[in-house]
Amino acid sequence: MVGAIILFLWLFMIPTLVGNIAAAGVDKKEKNLPFLWITGQMLLWAVFQLIAVPLVLTGKPFSTHFKEAISRENPLWTVVTLYLAAAVVLAAAGILFSCRRLRKRKMAFKVIRGFDNKGKWYCILWLFFWLLLIFQMVQAVRMTYADGDDAFYVAVATIAEESNYMYQKLPYTGGTTGLDGRHGLAPFPIWIAFLARISGVPVVTTAHVAVPLALIPMTYGIYYLIGRKICARRNEKLPLFLVLTEILVLFGDYSFYSVENFMIARSRQGKAALGSIIIPMMFFLFLIILERIQENKKVELIWWMLLTAVIMSGCLCSTLGAMLLCMLTGVVGICASVVYRRMKLLVPMALCCIPAVVYAVLYLLLE
Amino acid sequence: MWNQVLTLFQEYMGTGLIVGWFLIALIYLILKEKRKHIRILFLYVPIILLLLFFNPLFAKVLYAFVGNEIYYRILWLIPITVVIAYAAVHLYGTLKGRFRITFACVCGVLIVISGSYIYSNPYFRKAENMYHIPQEVVDICDAIEVEGREVMAVFPAEMLQYVRQYSPVVCMPYGREQTVYRWYVYDELYQVMEAEVIDVPRLAQLAKERACHYIILPKEQEMEGDLLNYDYILFDTIGGYRIYQDTTIYIGL
Repeated sequence: MVGAIILFLWLFMIPTLVGNIAAAGVDKKEKNLPFLWITGQMLLWAVFQLIAVPLVLTGKPFSTHFKEAISRENPLWTVVTLYLAAAVVLAAAGILFSCRRLRKRKMAFKVIRGFDNKGKWYCILWLFFWLLLIFQMVQAVRMTYADGDDAFYVAVATIAEESNYMYQKLPYTGGTTGLDGRHGLAPFPIWIAFLARISGVPVVTTAHVAVPLALIPMTYGIYYLIGRKICARRNEKLPLFLVLTEILVLFGDYSFYSVENFMIARSRQGKAALGSIIIPMMFFLFLIILERIQENKKVELIWWMLLTAVIMSGCLCSTLGAMLLCMLTGVVGICASVVYRRMKLLVPMALCCIPAVVYAVLYLLLE
Repeated sequence: MWNQVLTLFQEYMGTGLIVGWFLIALIYLILKEKRKHIRILFLYVPIILLLLFFNPLFAKVLYAFVGNEIYYRILWLIPITVVIAYAAVHLYGTLKGRFRITFACVCGVLIVISGSYIYSNPYFRKAENMYHIPQEVVDICDAIEVEGREVMAVFPAEMLQYVRQYSPVVCMPYGREQTVYRWYVYDELYQVMEAEVIDVPRLAQLAKERACHYIILPKEQEMEGDLLNYDYILFDTIGGYRIYQDTTIYIGL
């Protein structure tokens, strides 16, 4: 029970608090609970990637006991201690930003506006959306999907949590090996190991149950954010959009390769998070950026920073993320610069891709 | 190269109906969507990505970097779900009165008919525990684990992918790579374990060479010979499996 509460804190509360940092720099109309939660998680993932990759590549341990640590040369340089400290600092900063905003009476916690005068159909659609979401979450606990790739990803997390070795043991068999730096560039399993270590919940339960319970609603949170931008907010278009996306996901098993299949069946794997969370989040950020350009408004620095954070989160999820996200940014950038006749737009887009380019170069060097 | 890419796309499409709806949605939005930023993201970008995906030169370069196994993930960049849902909602907005509700219901039904229900996938089954690992694997690992050290055990193929998710201290002489055709490397021990009738003397010899403390075999497995005659004891029987322990290898108890 305590473990479940700690996981809830790390998967929902702390990201939401951290999200207040991003929310401080955006328009009031963009602020809402899903925005805080998801942008917070993106910032945390980006920070995790920044901390974990150098430690993995230099062969540092995942964690150390304090008594052992104080006798070592670099006592607290582990993923657990550094990420824990960073997350706490970011959450505290988020609380400060949140308090300042609340004092100014700019409440952020408005998810769904009032149901008054919206009609029965509007209420039915929202009810249907929540029922389908709850159904998927129940299924995430009740059902299991036998995927062979878990033998690698979940085992990497289990090894890290148990032995403190990161990418230095063979996940399939258990023998010791040299550093697997290429997989270490996308340490999503280490994030799962962190959640398990901090909560005391077994890694395998954290991966197969807790992570899907957070990432499935997160995907719909992003669809909600996208829906708010492209549908009129004050009628039933938004809930209908969300219900249709849910049906498309639930009946998205038309192919073994579909992103919907990965999202529901393999939510604990980084590549599933890349397809169902990171890429839709990129589209959301592009929607905002392009909308502001369209309206001749300034694109504030925070949006570019968030785009960078999402690209870094993509690199955490999958080594392929670096290439895919740079490709998407490039195609969007070129299209937008042609349509709006603003070649300068390519500059910030290219700058946002720098971290991904660095990880891609490292990937090639480690080949 | 073109054929490979086309085959990959066909596999990604599955029945092709959902991708068909996506293409219809794309055409609808080309005709009806006026906002430039939405046209860029949901029309121009998907079209360019599709053109890139089918470009043999682009495919050749990318195959060289990422391999043919994951080239299909470029298609993940195409927001199929969002485009279909948005086109439906856009059309819904143009309708009036009862037609709206009927149209929304028809959209839902068409998606249901065109797609495939995710939980009917044969790989989905009811979880036996909160680890989402078969209970027999959990019980066997718990039984053979020794505090403070790793143990080596040979498992039948159906258990390989689960063992080390649950227990990092249970090592195996071969792992999941044996069950994946494209990664397959010949392993005699695996061949002997998966034979219809197990050659027990050979199994015992190979397992000892690989320093395996335990051999796990299905109860109904046909065997030529008896492991008990080769310095093994029947350590335990769990579910449908027998656990044999090699008494000649030090286990630290």
